[in-house]
Amino acid sequence: MTDLNTTIGSIELKNPILVASGTFGYGEECDEFSDVNQLGGIITKSITLHPREGNPPPRIVETASGMLNSIGLANIGVDRYISDMLPKYDELDTTVIMNIAGSSLTEYINVLEAVEAVPNSLAGYEINISCPNVGEGGMEFGVDCDLTSQLTSELRQRTDKLLVIKLSPNVTNIAAIAQSAEAAGADAVSAINTVVGMSINPATRKSNVYTKLCGLSGPAVKPVGVAAVYKISQSVSIPVIGIGGITKGEDVAEYLLAGASAVQVGTANFRDPAAGLQILTEFHDFCDKNNISDLTELIGRLQNDT
Amino acid sequence: MRRIESGKVLSNHKLAKGMYRMDISLPEISSEVQGPGQFISLTVGEGWQMPLRRPMSIASIENDSISIIYKIFGKGTVWLKERTSGEVIEAIGPLGNKFSLDKINGKEIILVGGGVGVAPILYLHDQLSKDNQDHLLIVGAVTAAEQFLEHSPKTGIHLTTDDGSVGEKGTVMTMLEILADKVENPYIIACGPEPMLAAIYKFTTEKGIEGQFAVESYMACGTGLCQGCVIETTKNISKEHTYHQKYSLVCSDGPVYDINAIRI
Repeated sequence: MTDLNTTIGSIELKNPILVASGTFGYGEECDEFSDVNQLGGIITKSITLHPREGNPPPRIVETASGMLNSIGLANIGVDRYISDMLPKYDELDTTVIMNIAGSSLTEYINVLEAVEAVPNSLAGYEINISCPNVGEGGMEFGVDCDLTSQLTSELRQRTDKLLVIKLSPNVTNIAAIAQSAEAAGADAVSAINTVVGMSINPATRKSNVYTKLCGLSGPAVKPVGVAAVYKISQSVSIPVIGIGGITKGEDVAEYLLAGASAVQVGTANFRDPAAGLQILTEFHDFCDKNNISDLTELIGRLQNDT
Repeated sequence: MRRIESGKVLSNHKLAKGMYRMDISLPEISSEVQGPGQFISLTVGEGWQMPLRRPMSIASIENDSISIIYKIFGKGTVWLKERTSGEVIEAIGPLGNKFSLDKINGKEIILVGGGVGVAPILYLHDQLSKDNQDHLLIVGAVTAAEQFLEHSPKTGIHLTTDDGSVGEKGTVMTMLEILADKVENPYIIACGPEPMLAAIYKFTTEKGIEGQFAVESYMACGTGLCQGCVIETTKNISKEHTYHQKYSLVCSDGPVYDINAIRI
């Protein structure tokens, strides 16, 4: 039997499989399909200071082995998150990480401070500096080393909990952004958020998604995610959480070999709300078959002779 | 309760030009179905070439099986068309809400179905017929080739075609205006393509007629996770910051809405 425990900062996860922000709601929408307590953890949907309706429809379209989305950070806002969601997380027996989005340094700080001010069982925060779908979605932070550093540093000063910075693939050098986050005190980085994409209906000459530019996810982006994790893990010493197109157990192994200490399952949850647990079972089988006793035998163990 | 279930295809055949009907054995899901308007969502294709499920209105339920009616629209529905009896297909459901008949209050029901939107309307038509509840049914298409019911005004079934090749010549609106005028207190329940719903919306708003729409939407999950399938509501929003007021989730709040609750 493989020991599936993995460590991100000071947090020990029971296994390396989490569900990605924005693909599993607030953790309760699909509880009849799977027991979330078996997951390594859940990252809840991005929360901003105020509630947000999100973008006008159409918000999604299928593409080859993937999908484009532009939801626009629709969310309940931090006040309702604190009053309605946080108490529920006390009952869960898994790691819950809150994802925070903002349009300004002040907004990120205000959201984090509001949550820090109340007793709660959150393990920490994942900071979304990479939403491509709203003009003010934090993307300006995610493409700039200095802004990433400033934001990370300001949040670090305000919490002792796990601080994960979620990175965008839509940059020239993702490793440099990761280094800035590390230097400013982040406990870990997660990558990737969606890849900027677009889809046009040639017959109507219209964009298939309202905002035109939107975010690509699903198996189509898995190689982009694996490459990002590989580049980042070669450049930083903090843990990397791999995200992008994971649909089966072997995908988890692939991300771990590239250097990830844990992964997040995203788009697969849309097709099967129990995907995370299915992938966990498959990954466990993979480890057993390959006589892996613990995950250090996989993490970053890419063989260089091809 | 919603369930994920793999079920055998019992039959899959052509109903009319471009339209097919598939019966799938889904005992668990069918036992949970509350009524017409609800839908199931099917995985299509091999592997993850087509990652998104295809939402399909329930057209009928019989002996643990669920029937859907689908139109060949793209790769996903072509794949569905190629399934043969005995093959296994994966479904999640039942999803969404049902038509609420308690709002009708003794008014005279006119059902309107257009294109593949006929599926939930037929399910409701069957249910009303079983309950001996009087109602009229209008089904519209472009030509006779796309119709699979029999034009039978005596029994309240009115077909329309754009070219007049079967039934009344014109759109469903032609017939709806006639029938709504004939009955004293009409209540309209419709499902179909957006231009059809838009025309009915305009008509009912002008005439002050009440009713319900089952709307179609592109969906990624059907379970409320992705927030992709929104429709704009008619709520007056005075607050600066809101969530889930201006936009409603078709998969979970719908697909059935009071006509005056949404903007088409």
